[in-house]
Amino acid sequence: MRASALHDLHLARVPDGAGWIAAAGMPMPAAFPNEGDPATLALADASHWQRAGVKGPGAAAFLEALGLPVPAQPNRWTPLPRGGLIARLGLTEFFIEDAGAIARLIANAPATIGVYPVPRADTALVLTGRDANEVLLQTCNINFKALERMAGQLALTSMAGVGVLIIPQHAKSGADDIPLYRIWCDPSYGPYLYRTLLGIVEELGGGPVGMTGLDHLAPSPSDNIQPTGNP
Amino acid sequence: MKLMPCPVNGLRPVSEFFYWGEVRPMPDPDRCDDAAWADYVFNRNGAPGIKKEWWYHTPSGTWFIAERDTIRDEVLRTWLHASPEAEQQ
Repeated sequence: MRASALHDLHLARVPDGAGWIAAAGMPMPAAFPNEGDPATLALADASHWQRAGVKGPGAAAFLEALGLPVPAQPNRWTPLPRGGLIARLGLTEFFIEDAGAIARLIANAPATIGVYPVPRADTALVLTGRDANEVLLQTCNINFKALERMAGQLALTSMAGVGVLIIPQHAKSGADDIPLYRIWCDPSYGPYLYRTLLGIVEELGGGPVGMTGLDHLAPSPSDNIQPTGNP
Repeated sequence: MKLMPCPVNGLRPVSEFFYWGEVRPMPDPDRCDDAAWADYVFNRNGAPGIKKEWWYHTPSGTWFIAERDTIRDEVLRTWLHASPEAEQQ
């Protein structure tokens, strides 16, 4: 069974069996005690979604042949028609997150010259709420307010000393549009980054959010993810 | 905060980068004499001036070349090794 790199940290807050659910084959807490209000500030573990990577000089053509909408420039992302997203991390490197179909497609595709599949087991986080930018100001060195204005942009940067991929999106909270940031990092840094971010989130009056809250915010890739604009 | 312009990711704090030394063309070991090869292997030019250097943007894994004035610690321009700008060098 798949397990999140943050499994033990969740276990310390939610006892085994007490409200744990299987999310895409990964045990996750449905809710935390003292959950954060996503409209204000909340942090969630979204590692249960499936990821895949491809790099190499032939990667773009390979993904286009699979029928995927390949972003034309580096540091851009675009939503996938059936949920999930595809991101261009560099000139010849791609990151895909979906319900698992594309990862299987890439794994089963015949070997192609100049195409190198990259297995991805990232820790995936969702930071949301009106005060989310406060957390980024304390942990990152780039201006996310400016990044959000450019639709379809992503950032590869350093967050609390850890190399991360960050995609700004929006979520609905009632009638309001609230900022939502998707964050991915190497799983070996996952527990450190989660603890650091959660410490700041709790200091600012927020808290963790379980699977139930996350589903309301950012539907799983079989549904539609709402992009910031029209990439 | 010192800033470094990455040719792919734009202006970023220098803490996101790693310095990998001066760009030094390697002489052909089969054709050059021992003195030229030993100079390439062991000697480094520490004199300040405008130098071309290898830099690496850690979060995105981007290698590039920066032209830097090491007297004033000022980055003049940066480009990717395999880019059209590199052809003009």
